[in-house]
Amino acid sequence: MALFGRRNVLLAMLLVAAAAPSFLNAYYVFVANTILIYVLLAIGLNILVGNTGQLAFANAAMFGIGAYGTGLLQVHFGWPFWLAFPSGAVIATAVGLAISLPALRLSGLYLALSTLAFAQFTQWVFLNWEAVTFGAGGFKTPTISFAPLPISKPMGLYYLSLILVIVLFVLAQNLVRSRIGRAFVAVRDSEIAAQSLGVDLLRYKALAFGISGFYAGIAGGLYSAMLNFVSPEGYDLFQMVIQKAMIVVGGLGSIAGSVLGASALVSILELLRKVKGFQEIVFGAILVGFILFMPGGIIGFLKAKVRGWEEPLHRARPGKRSTSAAATSESSEVRP
Amino acid sequence: MTTALLSVRGVSVSFGGVKVLDGIDLDVKPGEIRGLIGPNGAGKTTMLNVISGIHAPHQGDVLLDGVSIVGRKPSNIARLGLGRTFQTSQLFRGMTVLENLMTGLHHRTTAGLIATSLNLRRYREEEEAAEEAARQALEFIGMSAFADRPGSALSFGQQRVIEIARTLIGDPKVVLLDEPAVGLSLNRLTEFDALLRRIRDEKGVTLILIEHVIRLVMDVCDQVTVLSSGRRIAEGTPDTVRNNPEVIEAYLGKELRARHSAP
Repeated sequence: MALFGRRNVLLAMLLVAAAAPSFLNAYYVFVANTILIYVLLAIGLNILVGNTGQLAFANAAMFGIGAYGTGLLQVHFGWPFWLAFPSGAVIATAVGLAISLPALRLSGLYLALSTLAFAQFTQWVFLNWEAVTFGAGGFKTPTISFAPLPISKPMGLYYLSLILVIVLFVLAQNLVRSRIGRAFVAVRDSEIAAQSLGVDLLRYKALAFGISGFYAGIAGGLYSAMLNFVSPEGYDLFQMVIQKAMIVVGGLGSIAGSVLGASALVSILELLRKVKGFQEIVFGAILVGFILFMPGGIIGFLKAKVRGWEEPLHRARPGKRSTSAAATSESSEVRP
Repeated sequence: MTTALLSVRGVSVSFGGVKVLDGIDLDVKPGEIRGLIGPNGAGKTTMLNVISGIHAPHQGDVLLDGVSIVGRKPSNIARLGLGRTFQTSQLFRGMTVLENLMTGLHHRTTAGLIATSLNLRRYREEEEAAEEAARQALEFIGMSAFADRPGSALSFGQQRVIEIARTLIGDPKVVLLDEPAVGLSLNRLTEFDALLRRIRDEKGVTLILIEHVIRLVMDVCDQVTVLSSGRRIAEGTPDTVRNNPEVIEAYLGKELRARHSAP
């Protein structure tokens, strides 16, 4: 195994993340928690956009629905966080599946426009349905408590986020290299061929929308709990652009790339927070730079330059790969 | 009649008032290699699209092994045992050759969201069997060396052959091939002949192929159906079709037909 391969680097990142609260101050724990939340968003969005090839713009809206769902269920119905949080994620998943229905008939620019329209509609609801959403000013959510555990809220939330990131990362990683992940890529690369091999397009597009909705919903619930506050502007078009930038910078169609892209962009945006106005400029420059010079993202660069970053879409059988490489010689019956 | 594996009955398709197919009948017996030829615009590809469920016919019926498949989704028809390839390469470029072939087993595998994401044993076993089958399929076409190449790094001809293997791996009853020999050099044609026969003989697959390389059609097909302007103008063994005056006319025009039949 390559020393600087994917597995080792991600494990090292995990160790740093697990130890981070012991050497970081409260502000940097907040930043680290933000990274974890964006990792979830990027993984979900990348499965939909990178793997399945669906150019959808509703992820920020589903992030918002997760946050509003989790927050409002606590505020209006007095539900505990532990019930409101998964419910918020379920609502976001359901909305993801629901918007996939009209979206499934559309592709390319039409899909982009219709999902964008949905996202704007969601913003409008957040802003104007004041009786429920408290309008433009937003609302405060109850501070959650990790009561029996002797742990403060920021620490508790950080480790909750970390555990969810680990679990959802592994699930996504398993999924993309299975028959389902291959069906996603088949839909992306050739719908007509995918169909002819028995891949039901509607079903797999809906599944990808549902998964991205679920990841965004989980992220939204965590985000609302971290900020103790929910307001419409966190889930607007700029939010969508940030998430898209993360998967482009990290690498489309790569779960590990989603982690790297989210970590890199949140870090850069935080570093530039003090320099007013500079944030947008650098952000735009990074995006243009990657699209022009590194269209494969960070992960594309690593795959080309460093050993051990390959991401096969199937499980490599231990010990079997070498034999296939060795038995290459004779077979050339039909080589057009 | 009843022995036909694939049966097309009175199928008509029109696009914007233009009749692309006009009451076509076609009966293909199990184990047959059927050629589908005709001048450009005769409706050959539309015919394959109707059979595979991409276009719905406005009239008529298509039966696969006695079951009507009109109105079903293409993915559903694939599940019933119909495979096809396309005029242009439709290899999944973001996958390796091996993964392309494994995708061909999609409708023959069942692991769902939970089994795959939790990496359950049932799924792992299915995945291993799929990989094994994919390697065997590569061996069948003599391209084992290409297993780990990305789909985007192959020549056009190689892509075409792998697409055929990708369809075969799902164990179809009937495979439709849309101009499979495009991109093959002439000296590879004999090998390709042999491959088509082996698909029929060893895999027991019935083939329907559209082809412009007439030599291939004449060599390998048991029966040939000729379409012209959406109608079936001839059907029979390659030899009888070759000498059919209507066929010669459709390809060469009236005057040449006179000259052709003169000596």
